[in-house]
Amino acid sequence: MRAGLIASLAGHSAILFWGLLAFPDAESFSVPQVESLPVDLIPVEEFTRLRIGERTAEVRDVAATQPSETEVEEPPQPTDRPGESQVEQPTPPTPSPAPTPAPEPQPVADPEPEPEPEPVAAPEPAPAPPPEPAADPEPAPEPAPQQEAAPAPQPIVTSVAPRTKPAPPRRTQEPPREDLNTEEIAALLNKVEPERQQGNASQEPASLGSRNGAQNVRMSQSELDALRGQVAACWNPPVGAVGAEELKVRVQFNLSQDGQVSGNPRVLNSNGNPAFGAAASSAVRAVMRCQPYSLPIAKYDAWQEVIINFDPREMIIGG
Amino acid sequence: METLVQSTLAAPEHELSFFALFWQAHIVVKIVMIGLLAASVWCWAIIVDKILLIGRTRRQMTRFETVFWSGQSLEELYNTLHNRVNHSMAALFVAAMREWKRSHEGQRPAIGSLQQRIDRVMDVTIQREAERLENRLLILATVGSSAPFIGLFGTVWGIMTAFQAIAASESTNLAVVAPGIAEALFATALGLLAAIPAVIAFNKFNSDVGKAVARMEGFADEFSAILSRQIDERG
Repeated sequence: MRAGLIASLAGHSAILFWGLLAFPDAESFSVPQVESLPVDLIPVEEFTRLRIGERTAEVRDVAATQPSETEVEEPPQPTDRPGESQVEQPTPPTPSPAPTPAPEPQPVADPEPEPEPEPVAAPEPAPAPPPEPAADPEPAPEPAPQQEAAPAPQPIVTSVAPRTKPAPPRRTQEPPREDLNTEEIAALLNKVEPERQQGNASQEPASLGSRNGAQNVRMSQSELDALRGQVAACWNPPVGAVGAEELKVRVQFNLSQDGQVSGNPRVLNSNGNPAFGAAASSAVRAVMRCQPYSLPIAKYDAWQEVIINFDPREMIIGG
Repeated sequence: METLVQSTLAAPEHELSFFALFWQAHIVVKIVMIGLLAASVWCWAIIVDKILLIGRTRRQMTRFETVFWSGQSLEELYNTLHNRVNHSMAALFVAAMREWKRSHEGQRPAIGSLQQRIDRVMDVTIQREAERLENRLLILATVGSSAPFIGLFGTVWGIMTAFQAIAASESTNLAVVAPGIAEALFATALGLLAAIPAVIAFNKFNSDVGKAVARMEGFADEFSAILSRQIDERG
């Protein structure tokens, strides 16, 4: 028995010793570094939907499809720039109530915010533009869409001209936002919405969509924002040009899976403005300079073909 | 909008070597581990001992059989063997021969029930030999059946304490959970380590002892037949 015990003890201690040598510390798994994506908690309504494209759908300004966003985020817009907001509103009588709340919160911006003068001023626009085209970008495109709306800004612009030039349009929106109370905004929104109906037939017009027509592939708003922000960072908008604010450039480009732009970006729209060529090339340059784009591979279907609206006022992306 | 950023928490450093696993464990788990280690040592001691014993017994039986069937006189064989300490078949032979001798000593040989007495003596000897061979085999059986449960107890206890620790640290990160569970599982590993050889060895030795006893019984029957013939011839 003693021999067996000795042999057993020797064997166990040998195994323990071997265990010390052969199993030092467990080696950690080599885990591939996972990209951490910012996660936004957003209501479902804010999802941009990519729907199956309809061949018959017309190419339209994506800016027009974004009313919900602009309404919520920038309610004071109509009050701030009555002339501009009216561009989208073909119905003449309604705009007058909309801007009326504006004068109280914003005495500096528009000395003559009253919409009543607009129809009165209508005959005058022709002479007005020539003196201040260099000063203000607004007048050039406006006369085309609407007669009553267009004249309105000119009297305003003449007075505001020195102020608006250095400051990009965004900045002019900020002061009223602070002053307005929410009830006023709500009242305003209620009035504005029916007018918009005419301009934008629906919140989600049939888009050309992605080529594959995957119905369930969606880019979340934050991903679109990320792409938009990335492109915007590389973009030098043609600020000084005449009517620079209206120089919307619609660029379509294809992305490969690693986020590189494949092929050449195409400019989809055109404009009579002589500065449009410069704006278009600046937009294309921005797209090329910003690559590679980091977008979720899983949704490649959704972003393999991207259309971006380069709008000097705000960049808006269409799928 | 709330922005949640997934962050990879740095895993706390934990050694996972044998001794680290042992020292980090709860006291109950430690006791279980020590007990299992002792059981394993004891089992292997028995295993080594039994391997030697059964091998030796087999060799002795073979040698005795060759000597017995070599045609040598039984008296001579008894004279050479009866002063030694004998095992297995030799012990059987010596016990039977001693009973035979005693029955023929004295004025009136007691031959009437000599055959029965010899059989009984040999049965007793076989039982004694079988007991010697089977000695401590029950320990192997016990360890083999109970060690997994003991290890499982250590594991359950370790996981219990690990979960309590997790609840206290309020983190469900796997890096927090893993070391405690690794420690706990170490107890089950030890239990299996002790149990598996014990079960295998028990089964093997059980059949070996059975074979050896059967061989001795065969020899006993044969020897009994020889003595019976002698009794009848002399009577």
